[in-house]
Amino acid sequence: MPASKRDRLRDAAIPWLLPAAILVGWQAAVSTGLVSNRFMPAPLDVVRAGWEAGRTGELWTNLGVSTLRALAGFVVGGGIGFALGLANGLSRLSERLTDTSVQMVRNVPHLSLIPLVILWFGIGEAAKLFLVALGVFFPIYANTLHGIRSVDPGLVEMGRVYGMSRAELFARVVLPGALPSIFVGLRYGLGIMWLTLIVAETISASSGLGYMAMQAREFMLVDVVVLAILIYAALGKLADALTRQLERACLAWNPAYRSA
Amino acid sequence: MLLDAVRREALSDPGPEPRQSGGPTPSPAEPSARGIAVTVRDLHKSFDGHAVIEGLNLFLPAGGFTAVVGRSGCGKSTLLRLILGLENPTGGRIDLEGPEGSPRRSEPPKRIMFQEPRLLPWARVVDNVAVGLSGHGTRAERRERARAALAEVGLSDKAGHWPATLSGGQRQRVALARALVSRPGLLALDEPLGALDALTRIGMQDLIERIWRAQGFTALLVTHDVAEAVALADRILVVEAGRIALDLRVDVPRPRRRGDPDLARLEGRILDHLLGG
Repeated sequence: MPASKRDRLRDAAIPWLLPAAILVGWQAAVSTGLVSNRFMPAPLDVVRAGWEAGRTGELWTNLGVSTLRALAGFVVGGGIGFALGLANGLSRLSERLTDTSVQMVRNVPHLSLIPLVILWFGIGEAAKLFLVALGVFFPIYANTLHGIRSVDPGLVEMGRVYGMSRAELFARVVLPGALPSIFVGLRYGLGIMWLTLIVAETISASSGLGYMAMQAREFMLVDVVVLAILIYAALGKLADALTRQLERACLAWNPAYRSA
Repeated sequence: MLLDAVRREALSDPGPEPRQSGGPTPSPAEPSARGIAVTVRDLHKSFDGHAVIEGLNLFLPAGGFTAVVGRSGCGKSTLLRLILGLENPTGGRIDLEGPEGSPRRSEPPKRIMFQEPRLLPWARVVDNVAVGLSGHGTRAERRERARAALAEVGLSDKAGHWPATLSGGQRQRVALARALVSRPGLLALDEPLGALDALTRIGMQDLIERIWRAQGFTALLVTHDVAEAVALADRILVVEAGRIALDLRVDVPRPRRRGDPDLARLEGRILDHLLGG
């Protein structure tokens, strides 16, 4: 653990050294004409494009639309995946009834359904919600199920002997035991959420970040395209950071998650 | 000192009214008010057609400290799990009888201490102990009693810690506090000290003996460590092939001194028997 404030600052700065160096090198390469700015805009141009898009409000509208779609799809798909994972983890019957079907559907790449989904839902919100929900469903389902399965049976037996009711057993033993695995599913799910949404928006949408990038490509606005890509990176990082915080709060008992 | 109440195949029939027969009750300092008496009649248990317990009869008087020893696979752990209700017998009966006149609901519970501590890693030490009070009182009351139980095992200062930060011996002491916090009438100990180092084990033995003497529950210890059985119990059962092969009284007064020649002689005798002497 870092002893002084300076050490802590240094520790916090280290992960950002590499991205900063790349930015500086990139700016230098474009400014000196080493790379044509028709293919790769300089970072300052991207910042300018971002400023411009932010000023007109276009950026915020698209960002808001995309975030809302992503979250809605995540809540629906993740919610169903979590519920089914719990059900199948706790009930043999439910597992026998549904798991084989789920495993079969899982092996279909969900993005391959895009043509079909467009036929079904057109290019409206329902199409995006469906795709994101489908993509998020599987990692959450599989990891929830795995988490419940891998709860130490010794602890469950202990809970029974010590007179816990079924509800108590679930809340105090099974769910906390499954939580680390559920978090793994959550992080996978968040990654798939963005990926699916961007692809769907790129192919069929009339608003959102993916749509913004596609429009910019039409007009050869490379800086906006790069801006959109950087925003994806930032959003992905943000989602990951939030999950980490949540993990740290929920799994403080686990030495593997205790903050260093 | 007398330790010669040896009977082969003893107690083959505990009798219809065993509690009046005044069986061996070399009980703790004060007579037990809380102990549960256990009567086992013609108990059978088999797993997949393989018989583990074959017609076992046994009476454990309230408040006694009985140790069960035997080779691995002799059925001693199964016997304990059957008495605790963790397994269902294939045949025969097990009757538990609480203290006189206590209504069915408020009977003192039966508790078990496993070989592993089996603490909930995500609950703090005090909440782990409070698990022993599941369904009783408010959260605050449970914590209050859990703290008292922790004090009894000498771990008051660890109440707010995570189990992962404790040593093996400390975790087992937390498990003991969890077993005792509900004031059980029967405490089953399934090789609870097997994973501890020798010095920690001796400390734990003293702790268990002291608490048993103070609280007067019926104690049933399953162990492969004959020295441990001899040091703690007032009666030792040797189980062989699903039956009780040897039933010994240990009349050495407490507190017992480690290395006492009487204990050593008794230990030698049990070992001889176990090793096929």
